[in-house]
Amino acid sequence: MKKLQEVLRDWEAVIGLEVHTELTTLETKMFCDCKLSHDDEPNTNVCPVCLGMPGALPVPNKKAIESIVMAGLATNCEIQPRSYFYRKHYFYPDMSKNYQTTQGPVAFCMHGHLDLEVSGQGAKERPDSTVEKDAQGSYVAPIRILRIHMEEDAAKMVHVGGGEGRIGGASESLIDYNRCGTPLIELVTEPDLRTPEEARLFMEKLRQTFLTLGISDCSLEAGSMRCDGNVSIRRRGTTEFGTKTEMKNINSFKSLHDALEYEICRQAEVLEEGGIVYQETRHWEPSKRRTVVMRVKETADDYRMYPDPDLAPFDLSDEFVQSCRERVPELPDAKRDRYVQTHGLKRTDASQIAGDPAVARFFEEAITYAPKAVQTIANVVVNLVPATTAVTAAQVASLSSLLAEDAITFAQAREVLELVDGTNDDPQKVVDERGMRQSTDTNALAATVEEVLARCTDQVRQYKEGNKKVVGFLVGQCMKASRGTGNPKLFNQLLRQRLEE
Amino acid sequence: MANIDQLSARQIAAGIAAGDFSATEVARATLDAIDVREDGVQAFLQVSADLALEAAAKTDARRAAGEELGPLAGVPVAFKDNMHLIGTRTTCASRMLENYESTFTATCVQRMICAGATPVGKTNMDEFAFGSSTESSAFHRTNNPWDTSRVPGGSSGGSAAAVAAGEVTLSLGSDTGGSIRQPASFCGVVGLKPTYGAVSRYGVVAFGSSLDQVGPFGRSVEDVALAMNALVAGGRDTLDSTSQELPVDFVAQLEDSAEGMRVGIIPALMEHEGLSAEVRAGLGRARAALEDQGVQIVEVDLPNMASAIAAYYVIGPSEAFSNLARFDGVRFGYQEPGCATLAEQTALSRAHGFGAEAKRRQMLGAYLLAAGVYDKYYYPAQQVRTLITQDYRNAYQSCDAIMLPCAPTTAWRFGEVSDPTQMYASDLFTISNNIAGNGGVSVPVGREEGTGMPLAVQLQGPAFADHTLLRVARAVERGIAGTDAFVPGTVAPAFVGKGGELA
Repeated sequence: MKKLQEVLRDWEAVIGLEVHTELTTLETKMFCDCKLSHDDEPNTNVCPVCLGMPGALPVPNKKAIESIVMAGLATNCEIQPRSYFYRKHYFYPDMSKNYQTTQGPVAFCMHGHLDLEVSGQGAKERPDSTVEKDAQGSYVAPIRILRIHMEEDAAKMVHVGGGEGRIGGASESLIDYNRCGTPLIELVTEPDLRTPEEARLFMEKLRQTFLTLGISDCSLEAGSMRCDGNVSIRRRGTTEFGTKTEMKNINSFKSLHDALEYEICRQAEVLEEGGIVYQETRHWEPSKRRTVVMRVKETADDYRMYPDPDLAPFDLSDEFVQSCRERVPELPDAKRDRYVQTHGLKRTDASQIAGDPAVARFFEEAITYAPKAVQTIANVVVNLVPATTAVTAAQVASLSSLLAEDAITFAQAREVLELVDGTNDDPQKVVDERGMRQSTDTNALAATVEEVLARCTDQVRQYKEGNKKVVGFLVGQCMKASRGTGNPKLFNQLLRQRLEE
Repeated sequence: MANIDQLSARQIAAGIAAGDFSATEVARATLDAIDVREDGVQAFLQVSADLALEAAAKTDARRAAGEELGPLAGVPVAFKDNMHLIGTRTTCASRMLENYESTFTATCVQRMICAGATPVGKTNMDEFAFGSSTESSAFHRTNNPWDTSRVPGGSSGGSAAAVAAGEVTLSLGSDTGGSIRQPASFCGVVGLKPTYGAVSRYGVVAFGSSLDQVGPFGRSVEDVALAMNALVAGGRDTLDSTSQELPVDFVAQLEDSAEGMRVGIIPALMEHEGLSAEVRAGLGRARAALEDQGVQIVEVDLPNMASAIAAYYVIGPSEAFSNLARFDGVRFGYQEPGCATLAEQTALSRAHGFGAEAKRRQMLGAYLLAAGVYDKYYYPAQQVRTLITQDYRNAYQSCDAIMLPCAPTTAWRFGEVSDPTQMYASDLFTISNNIAGNGGVSVPVGREEGTGMPLAVQLQGPAFADHTLLRVARAVERGIAGTDAFVPGTVAPAFVGKGGELA
């Protein structure tokens, strides 16, 4: 098969995503008071309503409606004042009523958009001619969102006796209704995505947004956030859609990217060889790095959708929507811009910190302890903290101050952080106790510099002849001579001063 | 001492409060009456003697402890078998649920019990409430107490017959297209379908969720009003999101003069060709009784009423198809043994668990909701629904209630109506009220000459004005009682006084 970049020169990929997100942070299910939990014994959080027992009736969870309205507001959707729940019928034991309660043509949230900033290596997937890129090769892709609707999740089925828990070859199927009735929001994009990287970024941005809203734990691995990708390709310059395939079983950002990449290349190969792409659902196999057919969709399923008569139409008042609006916190993009503007952070650091609400909270706490070391804190938060398990914001602030004062090197910072991880120890104290603090005494350092310069006459000559890079070697020599206690930055400064004389 | 079938709900509650007799004595008399009369009526699918005696003992203990008794203390009540009551099966008169034990208690049942009522059992019905004669019950027929060769009406036929035969003082039924009012009229008792939302549907096995409404049967308007007080006490049911608060006292204004009230009649309907002469005469009798009390009769029109049956037989089956989808033999109900695949098990469980009418309605619904068909039928049916609702609203600008026939004829003989569409057409006068969601009540107005079968009129009222509706119903009852046509509270002659002596 050809490589993606090559394929995308001749073909345009048209990608749409359907993203299901369980509202895991709620306490109860969508239409009953059962506890929401993934961890309990199977079939312990159930009641007549979520088990679909005759005579039971659904009562909507108001907090779930608040969550979806917040999700809509955060993704620039129009909040529909009036919408309905519908019944979507299909016979399968994972849906206890044999219909799923979902929404019809009008969802709570319609017609939103998210703008993606695509940069770096990922931006190269999109041929330059098809989009306006800046000097660094980055571009902005506006992605329209068709709708976000509210629905309930089905029960979890476990197939026993077959391979990898699949139904094929299984001898029996077990059903855990704990998940049945979990509030689920489904976001459907317009087919505006053009590269696997854009799809990956969209998912990532959506996850960051929902995490910031606090409406879900957004775990792709645990399945609380699930993504189906629809993809078709068409010759560059044409406008008609090709036949699409649907990708299931995507449980990581990398899988999403790689599955789409594989599928685009596969479709191109089929079409270039004169074949036909069939409308089908395909399963991503990460270990074999390929998609395989799950089922062929010959006709559209008839779900016999109609408005659920047990649930009155929703009339969302302006006050309700306004109260949801007030509860939408600062979103990742705005937070990133603030970090750049008011703290002078590097944009990449700022967006990485702003993307995860827990990291952002940690960062903002740390900078209150050491307001002068903000960029250093950002650096430590982005590069060192992820490898730790239980460091505190105060420890990071203290450590960052040392770094900012050039009292320790970055390599030492990593070591110190490992030492204080999980303790209450102050990094300053650890550094002093272990004699790690680097000398910033210029007189003492100057002596070392003189000694090194006297010894390394070859390098001094090279420098004077124009090879300025050789200063790195000389800094190394100084560090060695001072047994690591000298500050490399100061050595660098002093060496340059002396050599330029 | 008195026979239990001669006492009204109020008299029973008052007698127990006063110590004239105990709730246990009432329960025993009731069980005795059922024991003696049930062979002839077959109103019950299950008699819950233990539950009845237990509840009665509690009532007696409360009285002994000096606690306040509920307004229905010790009053024997039966429930249609689509209402859950822990300790009883809820079968919906279907093989599908033949052995289904209630896993919780319906709000309407609970509220009757909270008011002090003694639950005595579950009554027969058309399977899943699909029918107008109780003949589609999977278990047995129920006989009309006034003539046991005739149907009691349906689908709440068991609840109507049990009250008419004096087996219980009160019962609950459910009305999706006339299933309380029509059997009430066939059995000569009062039956109220309250406004949609007035009574919680939680725990009542759904037929048509947007049409279903629970309501009481009694032998007098006052007994029905007392039951309504119990059903709305406690306010809106948070377990039914379509239920609404109805903070009114149904009894308080019952005896107020009806003078000056306006009752609408629809002249074209009075001349309807299917209407029997006797039913028409009954309507005339009710009209005269109302006019005698100073009620003004005004002419109104419901121009879209002719479309009501068509709309109903789109909306009802569509909702039924959906509501009954859960009966698949996986988690509960009939499960076909020995199936190789899930698809086979689901198909055969449904094929053998449901009766003919239940299958007919579900297949109709499955067709009506199918892609391409939905737009042709379901959508126009909803438009008709809006039009009919508007028609009623317009009509109620000029009247407090509308008087209609309840059914075109009195109760027919078993097997007399076998064509389903003919059976459906008999709901002509009741269905539009479910479409609009308003309240309606059937009031006895005498007996048909020759057959001796009960005659009734139907009164319909605006949404959430069910207490006013009962006031008009009481005026009809009061006026009729003044003639020799009918005595309110009458138990069918073949059963009156058989067993049920209060010891």
